[in-house]
Amino acid sequence: MSGRIGFRRLPLIWRVPLAVSVLMFLVSAVITERVLDRLGSIQETYLQSIANSYLDGVTASISPSVLREDSWEIFDALERLRPVNTAIVPVETIVTTPSRVILAATDPLAYPSLEKMDDLQTERFPTTQIRIESDDGLAYLERDIVYQNTTIGRIYTIFDARLLLAERRDVLSTLILTNAAFTVLLVLIGIITVRRMIGPMQTLENHMIEAAEGKATRIDVSPQTPGNAESRRLFMAFNTLLDADEERRELSTRLAEEEKLASLGRLSSVMAHEINNPLGGLLNAVDTLKKHGANAGVRDASLDLLQRGLQGIGDVVRAALATYRPARQSRPLSLSDFHDAKMLLSPELRSRGQVLDLFLETGEGPACGCPAGPVRQAMINLLLNASAASPEGADLFLRSARLEDSVIVEVGDRGPGLPARAVRLLTGPAKRNLPDGKGLGLWVVRQIADEIGAGLELATRPGGGSIVRIKLGPGTFGEIGHAA
Amino acid sequence: MSEGHRSIFAAALSRRRFIAGGACIPLALTSSEASETGLPILRFGLTPVFLNNDIQLLDTLKVFLEAATGHSVELVTRRTYQEVTSLLVSGQLDAAWICGYPYIQYRDDLELVAIPAWNGKPYYQSYLIVAAGRDAETIMDLRDDIHAFSDPDSNSGFLVTRTLMFEHSLVPDDFFRKTLFTYGHRNVIRAVASNLAQSGSVDGYVWEVMLELEPELVSQTRVLRRSKWLGFPPIATSRAMAGTAKTRVLQKALLEMAANPQGREVLDLLRLTGFEMPREAEFDGIADMVARLRGVL
Repeated sequence: MSGRIGFRRLPLIWRVPLAVSVLMFLVSAVITERVLDRLGSIQETYLQSIANSYLDGVTASISPSVLREDSWEIFDALERLRPVNTAIVPVETIVTTPSRVILAATDPLAYPSLEKMDDLQTERFPTTQIRIESDDGLAYLERDIVYQNTTIGRIYTIFDARLLLAERRDVLSTLILTNAAFTVLLVLIGIITVRRMIGPMQTLENHMIEAAEGKATRIDVSPQTPGNAESRRLFMAFNTLLDADEERRELSTRLAEEEKLASLGRLSSVMAHEINNPLGGLLNAVDTLKKHGANAGVRDASLDLLQRGLQGIGDVVRAALATYRPARQSRPLSLSDFHDAKMLLSPELRSRGQVLDLFLETGEGPACGCPAGPVRQAMINLLLNASAASPEGADLFLRSARLEDSVIVEVGDRGPGLPARAVRLLTGPAKRNLPDGKGLGLWVVRQIADEIGAGLELATRPGGGSIVRIKLGPGTFGEIGHAA
Repeated sequence: MSEGHRSIFAAALSRRRFIAGGACIPLALTSSEASETGLPILRFGLTPVFLNNDIQLLDTLKVFLEAATGHSVELVTRRTYQEVTSLLVSGQLDAAWICGYPYIQYRDDLELVAIPAWNGKPYYQSYLIVAAGRDAETIMDLRDDIHAFSDPDSNSGFLVTRTLMFEHSLVPDDFFRKTLFTYGHRNVIRAVASNLAQSGSVDGYVWEVMLELEPELVSQTRVLRRSKWLGFPPIATSRAMAGTAKTRVLQKALLEMAANPQGREVLDLLRLTGFEMPREAEFDGIADMVARLRGVL
């Protein structure tokens, strides 16, 4: 199992040649086995025919001597009949009576005349088919000497078949060497072929990995680039895809900017309204001062009114500046950002009769070092979305708290719950392209979260509604430093 | 004794040096017949071992005899001494190189023509041989052996050992586990060297000459016992042929062989020094053994 996994982990460039070599090994093993088997049969047939002709000659020559049990004549005949012009020679020939008493042998010292062949010695001799012992390279054969239908004796012959075995070994080593050479050759060819075949794929893969990492580059498809027309078409398609993606991203960025400007416009009108509202009172106060400035009571009351009115205008202007002037965003998130958000949303909330509760549970401040600008932008977008999703008179909340080593910012609404599309947008796989239709605000939130490395979570609010949680983990801490 | 020569020839053959026949070459002269060339035929008996193993040797001997006798020489071979002796006695051979034992057996029917001299003497010995490494001292140590004799009509290859056993009151078939007749002194040496037989009776002249020609084979055996000196296998003719012109020519050729270059070549191969006029007394030793075994064999 682990071997298979290991094999799969190997690059394709090695896997294919390795598979080829294994296949070649199997094929050559089968071929070698077949060749050796066939060679063995041929050799045995050859040996059998040599043995038969030798034994035919010996039998014909010694039969009369065997009848007379003339040891000398048999010995002399065996000596004379010993083949000399053949590679396969009998190393030992023993002639016995039917009861296995030795009459004569080519080596009388090993097989003394008148001694009896013991069972151990005769066991090695098959009666019909010659048998080659691979350990000592000797071949054994026994034959009866029949005269007038009567067995008058037996011949036991041992042939030296080492030459045949050596031949077999030679064939084996030749086969192994040849097959090994072919395997190596095929593996090399395999490696080169696969390298050529998958080279373009690797190029494509590398560029795709780079693209996934946000560092997409175009593939060179100039005529000098190696590869065939097919791979070139593939590269061109990739480049086209890359161009299209780039265009879409630029479009998305532009749309996001436009959306930002749109929300700014909306807020600007609110802000103008907020400024305009006290402005009438302030002008009245100025008139009152002009007319009744001498009256200390009227003067104080008017100045007080002027001061509060101008403070209110000042707050609105500061909040707007803090939100939309990037240069000032590079400060860490603080409690004022939450108050500002509430204040910026208050006209919208008021118009819908909604209430925003602020729960700041981080004490003096979040103190997380997170960049204030993006988080404010995200909070405002979420609050605008929550307000729009909730019915009139609903109670919304904005909460900041510490959770283990993170800081969380939650926005709760009383809406019917986030639609599946919105859920995918917030917590699904990263999607850089702008969604179709609505949900631009949430898409901006997701973009901000991805940019600063914050997490987005969804929860159901007790009593109805949804909670969107921005989780500012340790990864987002210190972003401010980079932003600065 | 022709057996002895056969053995030597056989040994010589392998080296292509040992040309002319030694001891028991039966010579036969039949004056009434003529060859295709018009020359009278001289039938000369030899053994199959001799004939089969070295045609060149036979040719050399034949060339010498034909040149020396002026006859067309026909070399006749048989497997056993008995066959050659029978042919000789029956007059089918003009002469033959026979063994001293058959000569004594058929003394009344045969006449000596010549006797070879080995080391200048017309005598030789019979050897009792065993395997080289064997621990034995007398014939009594050879009990239960497979024993190789040369020929039942051989003096050195049978009669001497048989007489020795008789002297020790031993019967071959009881004393030995088995006896073999190899019909050749070289064969006796082969049988003992290969351990097919554990002991053997062999012509001492053959053993000594073969020791020089085939030391690898002969050195695998050793001499356990040497007999006393006995008459060398002679060349004999039948009584009927004795004194004829053909026999006299043959006798002259043999006796003058040492003086003839071709004859010298033959003698060198046989390691003989020449041929001498035979004397009956040279075979007294064999005759004595035959007399002692009369009724036993």
